[in-house]
Amino acid sequence: MTDAVTHTGSGNGLLQLVPKAEAKQSMKDFKSDQEVRWCPGCGDYAILAAVQGFMPELGLAKENIVFVSGIGCSSRFPYYMNTYGMHSIHGRAPAIATGLATSRRDLSVWVVTGDGDALSIGGNHLIHALRRNVNLKILLFNNRIYGLTKGQYSPTSEVGKITKSTPMGSLDAPFNPVSLAIGAEASFVARTIDSDRKHLTDTLRQAADHPGTALIEIYQNCNIFNDGAFDALKDKQQAQETLIHLEHGQPIRFGTDRTRGVLRNQATGDLEVVTVTAHNEADILVHDAHSTSPTTAFALSRLADPDTLHHTPIGVFRNIQRPVYDTAMADQLDTAVDQKGKGDLAALLAGTDTWTVES
Amino acid sequence: MAYVIALPCVDVKDKACVGECPVDCIYEGPRKMYIHPDECVDCGACEPVCPMEAIFYEDAVPDEWDGYRTTDREVFAEVGSPAGAESAGPLPTDHPVVAGAPVREQG
Ligand code: SF4
Ligand code: SF4
Ligand code: SF4
Repeated sequence: MTDAVTHTGSGNGLLQLVPKAEAKQSMKDFKSDQEVRWCPGCGDYAILAAVQGFMPELGLAKENIVFVSGIGCSSRFPYYMNTYGMHSIHGRAPAIATGLATSRRDLSVWVVTGDGDALSIGGNHLIHALRRNVNLKILLFNNRIYGLTKGQYSPTSEVGKITKSTPMGSLDAPFNPVSLAIGAEASFVARTIDSDRKHLTDTLRQAADHPGTALIEIYQNCNIFNDGAFDALKDKQQAQETLIHLEHGQPIRFGTDRTRGVLRNQATGDLEVVTVTAHNEADILVHDAHSTSPTTAFALSRLADPDTLHHTPIGVFRNIQRPVYDTAMADQLDTAVDQKGKGDLAALLAGTDTWTVES
Repeated sequence: MAYVIALPCVDVKDKACVGECPVDCIYEGPRKMYIHPDECVDCGACEPVCPMEAIFYEDAVPDEWDGYRTTDREVFAEVGSPAGAESAGPLPTDHPVVAGAPVREQG
């Protein structure tokens, strides 16, 4: 063993179950020999680089890391990671990853999915993984379009969006993945942006440190079919007024000279964006990602305008500790063995309660 | 590994590449543009838009411009990682290989 582990956070005791790397790792160790086949300029490259750059920090044995994906552009991700991986079935990555994480607790299991894969065909699997709190890290690349199938509207596309499948504009109200995850009882929910390497890496770090399901929504530019979808958050000037950086324990302020802030309306209980004055400064909401109640985190997720993206919070919305499915299941199995002895699968299958169907 | 910018960019710098880069890692030097080797995510968006065909993957730089294989990496050895060319502004000096290149005739 070497001192490969530079990871200092101790939040995720479950990481101790995963064997450590024998030597110090670098980003190169996590690059596979596969040619990366996203369109030139795709935001996926930036996310891949950030994940490959972050992995050495965890210092886990590569053989004990798994990336499971579904179907879509983002789901090519496992090919490019020099770890185990599975390019699985459309929308089913959370289900497959749940099986892996619960049966092999010596693995660090990551899910890579997109807005189509996770929120359309896979919506059901996603919400159940979240409510169970399986020890998975889910990276949801949101580009608000179907890229792989060449540009149809997705479950996160804005109302009125003109695409190949919505020539007169989309009629569907979009999902907000952060709101959805909080509503599905997620214990860790964050949002970040493909091109902000530092913020993305910091968010990965916090997610890895979380015991249970961590969902990170990553705003990702599809420069071919939905170019500039997040420019309002990326342009340095505009971002001053559009982006809200959430930091646990800090007052939620933003804008040039931090003159804007988030305040709770005492009459309605809802949150609103205000200009900070000497009069209201003391009342500006302080972000509490650890709050047991999801109410304020949910209200924060509703601040952003889905069309203009004004007042989009990024960072960790919610980060609470609650029982982890894998641990609870392992405990239950131990209890069953204690009480009833080791099971006999063959005997169980043959059973005692059989019958014959006669014609 | 990353993309690098070779001799044809020197004294041209039309910056067509800059607008394509999703992570803003193409920095301006006095005579040439430079790609930050650690910030570049290998997305390949800059390479086809360069009118001078000056951009190459590090291990595919033509032999005639061999010296340019490492100019970009070395120039940032002192600068570090500013995380964004737009806010960092231009680099104060060129790499010696670039500074010593013959001045391109205008026109
Ligand atoms: S279609 Fe869009 S999301 Fe898919 S690889 Fe190309 S740029 Fe990326
Ligand atoms: S596009 Fe080519 S010539 Fe123009 S600045 Fe970029 S590297 Fe230089
Ligand atoms: S390859 Fe992509 S990330 Fe690298 S410099 Fe070119 S455009 Fe920027």
